[in-house]
Amino acid sequence: MNRLANSTLTSVLAVLLMATWSCNKPEQAPSTVGQAPAAPDAATRAADENVKCEGLGDFANCAVEKSTLAEYSPAVGQNFPNRVYWGDTHNHTSFSFDAGFGNPLGPEIAYRFARGEEVTSSQGLRAKLSRPLDFLVVSDHAEFIGMPDLLRANDPQLLKNETAARWAKMLHAGGEEATKAGIEAVLAIFKRNEVFKDPKVTRTIWEKVTSIATQYNDPGHFTAFNGFEWTSAPGPGNNLHRVVIFRDGAQRANQVLPFSAFDSENPEDLWKYLAGYERKTGGQILAIPHNGNLSNGMMFALADMSGNPLTRQYAENRARWEPLTEVTQTKGDSETHPYLSPDDEFANFERWDFGNMMNPVVPKQPDMLQHEYARSALKLGLKLEKQLGVNPYKFGMIGSTDTHNSLSTVDEDNFFGKMPTSEPSPERWKEVFLFKADKTPAAAAWQTQAAGLVAVWARENTREGIFDSMKRKEVYASTGPRITVRVFAGWDFNAGDLDRPDFAAEGYKRGVPMGGTLAKSAASGAAPTIMIRALRDPDGANLDRVQIIKGWLDAKAELHEKIYDVAVSGGRKIGSDGRCKTSVGSTVDIPNATYTNAIGAPLLSGWWKDPDFNPQERAFYYVRVIQIPTPRWTAYDQKRFGIKMPNYIPMTVTDRVYTSPVWYSPAQ
Amino acid sequence: MPDIPNKLRRWIREPLVQFMAIGLVLYLLFAWHGDTGPNSYRIVITQGQVDALAASFVGVWQRPPNEQELKSLVDDFVREEIATREAMRMGLDRDDVVIRRRLRQKVEFLTEDISTASPPTDAELQAYYNQHPDKFRTEPAMAFRQVFLNPSRRHGETVHDAKLLLARLSTTGASADIKTLGDPLMLPSEMPLSSRSEVARLFGNGFADEVMKLTPGRWSGPIESAYGLHVVFATERAEGRLPSLAQLRPIVEREVLSDRETHDLDAMYDQLLKRYQATMEAHDSGTAAAAQVRSMPATKTVNAPKDVD
Repeated sequence: MNRLANSTLTSVLAVLLMATWSCNKPEQAPSTVGQAPAAPDAATRAADENVKCEGLGDFANCAVEKSTLAEYSPAVGQNFPNRVYWGDTHNHTSFSFDAGFGNPLGPEIAYRFARGEEVTSSQGLRAKLSRPLDFLVVSDHAEFIGMPDLLRANDPQLLKNETAARWAKMLHAGGEEATKAGIEAVLAIFKRNEVFKDPKVTRTIWEKVTSIATQYNDPGHFTAFNGFEWTSAPGPGNNLHRVVIFRDGAQRANQVLPFSAFDSENPEDLWKYLAGYERKTGGQILAIPHNGNLSNGMMFALADMSGNPLTRQYAENRARWEPLTEVTQTKGDSETHPYLSPDDEFANFERWDFGNMMNPVVPKQPDMLQHEYARSALKLGLKLEKQLGVNPYKFGMIGSTDTHNSLSTVDEDNFFGKMPTSEPSPERWKEVFLFKADKTPAAAAWQTQAAGLVAVWARENTREGIFDSMKRKEVYASTGPRITVRVFAGWDFNAGDLDRPDFAAEGYKRGVPMGGTLAKSAASGAAPTIMIRALRDPDGANLDRVQIIKGWLDAKAELHEKIYDVAVSGGRKIGSDGRCKTSVGSTVDIPNATYTNAIGAPLLSGWWKDPDFNPQERAFYYVRVIQIPTPRWTAYDQKRFGIKMPNYIPMTVTDRVYTSPVWYSPAQ
Repeated sequence: MPDIPNKLRRWIREPLVQFMAIGLVLYLLFAWHGDTGPNSYRIVITQGQVDALAASFVGVWQRPPNEQELKSLVDDFVREEIATREAMRMGLDRDDVVIRRRLRQKVEFLTEDISTASPPTDAELQAYYNQHPDKFRTEPAMAFRQVFLNPSRRHGETVHDAKLLLARLSTTGASADIKTLGDPLMLPSEMPLSSRSEVARLFGNGFADEVMKLTPGRWSGPIESAYGLHVVFATERAEGRLPSLAQLRPIVEREVLSDRETHDLDAMYDQLLKRYQATMEAHDSGTAAAAQVRSMPATKTVNAPKDVD
């Protein structure tokens, strides 16, 4: 009887809900509930700009075209990105039903917290960001958004039949009529409650997700994106997860449902879904893979899911739908690995290289690494481009948190961890997430990295403005600090251009920004020149150095990488090999969890010309800015809780940013 | 809502009444329909179910399923139904953390939906707006021009240089052409009206605090930022103001609904709690544990299985 009651209870509640809802909102469609006060002019303006620039390729071209207009005002035509917006594209709330999360905080709290409001965390702690974020993607798992859920089946879309229309009328009449309709509907649902199964329910929840995003999206001030996570882990346990982000509002996003790994574990099917969305709605959408480091060699493989070699079609689709990769987050950093980059003294950074995400984990083999880390994937992309004519791994780089407690935190001194259970407490560092087969820990909470953020060069804090920058890869990854970095690559920049007051205007006019592709130079003997300006986090630590990381494919089809230090602090020397071997040192006082800016520099800028350029060889260049060492979140915990962690727990961190690369290809 | 008298509306929103109504409906249902729930061994696939399965396929793939695909959808549906019923017979649903949490969420969603079902009245909005003016007041803003001096380029002369520059600019006044003055910095030399937090996110907190204190109409400084020294001309200050309710309406609506949700959820638990007696078993370490229990609206499962993705 009890169980029977349960099953009918859900139906009954559903209809009562529906009744109440319909009674009170007869004329409104759900997607418009609580529509935020748009600043339509801002949004439209961004959209217009985009239209004008479409088909012109890089933004630079767009700026160039405009700046050729004969206008008196020098500001006319200067519509290139002029500031950096900071955000997190990867935040899970209570709508993600992963086992054991115990997070009661929904998307509303995630948005409020990101906007800078004080909230109460899932464990009852007061939490507030030191600085608000500019944008947030709530990316709950598609799989669990779609969990069968009769209770939430109160979607008026369901009622698009005669009976439903009649009920609606009765409900509008109110009073006794409404009650009668409610009971009648209950009985009807009970008889054929199947109508309200999965898709409808998923729709109801999806529309709730998009309607909350609508409420919190505040163009010009705070951008709330519609999004979800596709949680594919074939193997099982090899992480192929992607966060999907919509450029559009609820009206378009509601025309589809989130695509889940139950639908398919194959990314090629995800791309079909993305293409279907754009075709159907005229909107725009993209997907961002993350945690290659937990994919056991699958994230940047040279074969598709069936083991066939990649095709040109595959490469086109991947490049089209996945312009970015999330390379740094709470579950470790995926820029590069010491095994892959033995000459890189900064490579051994926040590593999660034990295996995949199974419990117990399937251990990592060294030959998997080249297919997991971003730098290696960028290199493999050059090779694939030569074979296929298209580079499937031509991606920009971002960071995000992948938090599962609704709180996007990256500051070492204000880190709320990855899970509800990882919120600040004297014991939190001990928690074990994954085990090895021999029952020893593979991943524990102390390994969690307080990271990361996406930095977006744009003109406007709107869905359109930020999405379009992400699509053209004018974005970069930070492991936490808000370091500003601007990069231009061209053929004829000289050291003097670096100090020009119109640095950016010149940069766009004569070169391409991060994420761009250098067109072949007309001049023979020319080599790429790169200008970089970097500012430390205004409320953070000084900078150690600015580096260019070059990857290339030589005539024998062999791949190479090389690091060049371009600017270093404190008058240290850069050798003829392009490297500064002197460490910046450290001011970190671990017991007190403090540091000073007595070392490093607040501003670094550099001009660089590739000393070893061969116009026949495909290449990429990206910039890495290294911050001076600061106390890691574990040091703050140790100090604040008065505890002592074992010696193997790292207590300092060397935060950094990675820019999206600039590519060069002899074919283009 | 003119259709329903106020009294009835309040009555409908009363959780106790809702639960009584549900009870009544349940009673009627059992009396009328008998046992066809998960205990039954009969699975009937109606056309409605088939249509729903097909619709879910369309939702994902943007095309209808072919015959083979539809057949496997139905087969899968039958399996799911069998598995669900068998699992429930075995009681597998009872101690499952995910299911428990999901059920809790369903109940809370229910309250939320009821809370937000009726839009806030004008009176409600006005009252909230009057009670929380600070929530809606804009920050004071300052517009300024700045010339930057980089200590790493000025060999200990930065303060001296800044004073000279200040003197020079003071004689020129507002119209000074600053484009070619000072050292390069990747930040705007002309800031439009910007709030303190806007200024802070570019120049740092200390600088922002100082700039907000400036008197418009004259060159001041030097002011220190994260990057060096700045000579600053404040061009305009705008005081914080409270936009009218009409301008803020959608935002106030959002806040009222959010407030109502929290309030109603607490009220629901308070109501339900009256039917329960929650006690903590006393044992040796019990007092310590009890002291650590935080005051939350509902209990939380602590030792849940872990998943880290």
